[in-house]
Amino acid sequence: MIDRVLDAARGKVDGADALWRREEQTAVSFESGRLKTAGISEEAGINLRVLAGGRMGVAGTTAAKPEPAELVGRARASAELGEVVELAFPGASKLPPIPTFFDRTANASLDDLIRMGRLLVERLARPDCQINVAVQREVADTAVGNTAGARGEYRATGIAVSADITRIAGDDVLMVYDQYVGGDMPSDADLEALVRSVETRLTAALKIVAPPDGALPVVFTPAGLAAVVLPLEQALSGKTVLQGSSPLAGKIGETLFDERLSIVDDPLTPGRPSSRPVDDECVPSRCTGLVERGVVERFVYDLETAGRAKTQSTGNGRRGVFGKPHIGYTNILFRGNDGAHGGHTAGLGGGLLGDIDDGLLVDDLIGVGQGNVISGAFSHPVGLAYRVQRGEITGRVKDAAVAGNAYDLLKRIGGFGNDGRWLGARYSPSLLLEGVSVARR
Amino acid sequence: MKERLAAAVKQSRADYTEIRVERTWSSAVAFRGRRLETATVSEDQGGFVRVLNTGCGWGIASFTSLDELPAMVTRANELSRAVRVDDPIRLADTRPQTGDALLELDGDVRGVPLAEKKKLLDRYNAAMLAVSDKIVDTQSSYRDEVSEVWFVNSEGTSLYQLRPEVVVSGTAIARRNGNIEKGLESIGLRKGWNSVQNFENQFRVVAQRAVDLLAAPRVRGGAYPVILDNELAGVFIHEAFGHLSEADFVYENPQAREMMTLGRRFGKPVLNVGDNGAATGLRGTLPYDDEGTPTQDTPLIKEGVLVGRLHSRETAAKLGERPTGNARAISFRHPPIVRMTNTYIAPGKKGVGFNDLITDIKLGVYACGAFGGQTMLENFSFTAGWGYMIRDGKVAELVKDVVLAGNLFQTLDRIDHIAGDFTWNQMGGGCGKAGQFPLPVTEGAPHVRIEEALIGGDV
Repeated sequence: MIDRVLDAARGKVDGADALWRREEQTAVSFESGRLKTAGISEEAGINLRVLAGGRMGVAGTTAAKPEPAELVGRARASAELGEVVELAFPGASKLPPIPTFFDRTANASLDDLIRMGRLLVERLARPDCQINVAVQREVADTAVGNTAGARGEYRATGIAVSADITRIAGDDVLMVYDQYVGGDMPSDADLEALVRSVETRLTAALKIVAPPDGALPVVFTPAGLAAVVLPLEQALSGKTVLQGSSPLAGKIGETLFDERLSIVDDPLTPGRPSSRPVDDECVPSRCTGLVERGVVERFVYDLETAGRAKTQSTGNGRRGVFGKPHIGYTNILFRGNDGAHGGHTAGLGGGLLGDIDDGLLVDDLIGVGQGNVISGAFSHPVGLAYRVQRGEITGRVKDAAVAGNAYDLLKRIGGFGNDGRWLGARYSPSLLLEGVSVARR
Repeated sequence: MKERLAAAVKQSRADYTEIRVERTWSSAVAFRGRRLETATVSEDQGGFVRVLNTGCGWGIASFTSLDELPAMVTRANELSRAVRVDDPIRLADTRPQTGDALLELDGDVRGVPLAEKKKLLDRYNAAMLAVSDKIVDTQSSYRDEVSEVWFVNSEGTSLYQLRPEVVVSGTAIARRNGNIEKGLESIGLRKGWNSVQNFENQFRVVAQRAVDLLAAPRVRGGAYPVILDNELAGVFIHEAFGHLSEADFVYENPQAREMMTLGRRFGKPVLNVGDNGAATGLRGTLPYDDEGTPTQDTPLIKEGVLVGRLHSRETAAKLGERPTGNARAISFRHPPIVRMTNTYIAPGKKGVGFNDLITDIKLGVYACGAFGGQTMLENFSFTAGWGYMIRDGKVAELVKDVVLAGNLFQTLDRIDHIAGDFTWNQMGGGCGKAGQFPLPVTEGAPHVRIEEALIGGDV
């Protein structure tokens, strides 16, 4: 398909690249503890980008038998209105070896998926709670190519297993959620860890206590950390740097964060569903250090933004069937280099609670991503948070809000937890941050 | 197409079968600053099959290749039969519907050259950039679509719907030293090209506000009497209350059902809330939902008391209530689930205006516009676009970082005055639920007063 479209483009435009993707998903869902739905979806589409007269245009279609000439015509019409860009399509090159396809995932039967979901439902069932479980398996074929001769093809598997529990008592609503996401099927230990993670957080939340107040030490779990790391993820994008809206623009080489903090984008992490040998613009995958020991090292780019910034793409081009390629992280890892590793099995707080006399453990905040994210300032009511007193969790707090500035807080990190784990495409441990503003409502 | 779908339904061995096929033509233009990001035309099409068998669960299949339709009907049936349920799934009875429902295109966007759309957006984008040299960045987008939807089920329903949509939005970003503020304008209609002309002034206004916010102080956090403007009041009722009124939240959850018992008092007698999928020309408007049920105006809160909820056929059957035409899917890639359409707070007494609401407020906050909102069931957080202090019954200085957070039940109960100045928010964006985003919806409200609410900010 890719070749037919690129052939149709040759001679009509100065250059082109294309992505074809076919995805098959199988999903089962349990609602309120009962198996309710089984479904499949099959989808295929192609996205074409052309350069014509120095201008860029794109077109996409999900038609079963797309007409290459029609697609090229539409992309050219788009280019007539497009901006002049400096975009160099990469030539053919060797792609790094990275396993993206796991037989066990691809071959799992509907019954296998149902069995896994049922196991979670049975393990997590509680008389006063509603439990929903979803299992979704995906097999995707991707092909990319361009008129400069680069080609890439790979087949990837992914599986996501999620469990959420809702407990309503009067007007008090408690929700606890966790998930396993991987390229390969979860092991028994992975499922056990998921069960324990949900149970631990649920049990600790049953008792409600009054929230503290003031500038306090707060441990953010990997899930709770989103509000703190989201500004950095936006600011490390070459696009926001070009746009002048990144507070990190012009700061390459400066130490802006705690000297133990490193941030890496790594498409070559084994076993992750976002790993890939090549990006969606034919750039071979490689690991990119963004922040190393507190020093800002590099921003992520796709071909277009790299051209504008007079630099190289970092292999972070991402595209769907519709629209033009854009910058996207693959697997983003936040790590402390004091070597502590724990994985899923560590207790809540990753061993960071011991020294806290009075503070919070934050697992979920409400409204993350709203407001002026990139500035680093955040202020959110807690969704799920616990009070920590004399080194121990004493109960769940409601009606509290936490606020701070990510850039200030990450200058001095009180501690990295031993509970590093994946949450979707982000890996991090819990972080202890000092002087977070906690307000009682 | 209807005949093709009817033939596939007929061949199905399942007790209940429905097929939805969509073909969507769309175009999009986007600017970032002075730079054009994209100008494209896209074609998306595909189908969705859902079947149900007695004693079994739902089997569903979605696909982009329509040649696969007969095979997908068979697959969906196999999937349904693989799911054994002890508690049978039933669908509330509805009268079979047949016909074509063509919404007015108001200037068919398919006939307008892409270059014209670029020109229109360029004008709005330039209007924002021209306001001040402090406007350092903009994000503007134009998107239109015409969607054809065919729906056929095994009970005799056979429908063809033509649904247009057009959205123009712009964000202006103002910057002075390290300080960054934004202003947001968004116009979304279930109409066409003619309906998005001549909005330059609105875009200018939001850019100017972003500049003004640079010099505005942060609101001082605390509990205040708060007036919500029409836009924020609409977003509030959608986010904080609307989602709880979706029956799939309660239908299999006895505790939730108790919390949302019909007859429970939710507010003072001034409060009336509803959802109206049959209103004319709004983004949430549909003649029929994605199960083929006609839409309607559904009262949810009447004089402060919970009187109704939003249903699909399945949730209605389970609760012994009637379907309300609220089963919606964002595309053929998804099953229909219970969603809002056009959700509103009904106007209070005619002639009661904004000034009547603030006259006895000594110190309060007038919260305007909405950057976003999120609820976790009974807790919510809303970020207003901007705000003003109210001092001695008058609107005073502009303030920023107005975040409204609180408990739904307390806050609804504290709504003590509602003005008569109702408007629908004709915004873009949309609602997200269960991975289906953005679903076109509209909210509407008059000015609303909350006797006391918590405002975040400097504390």
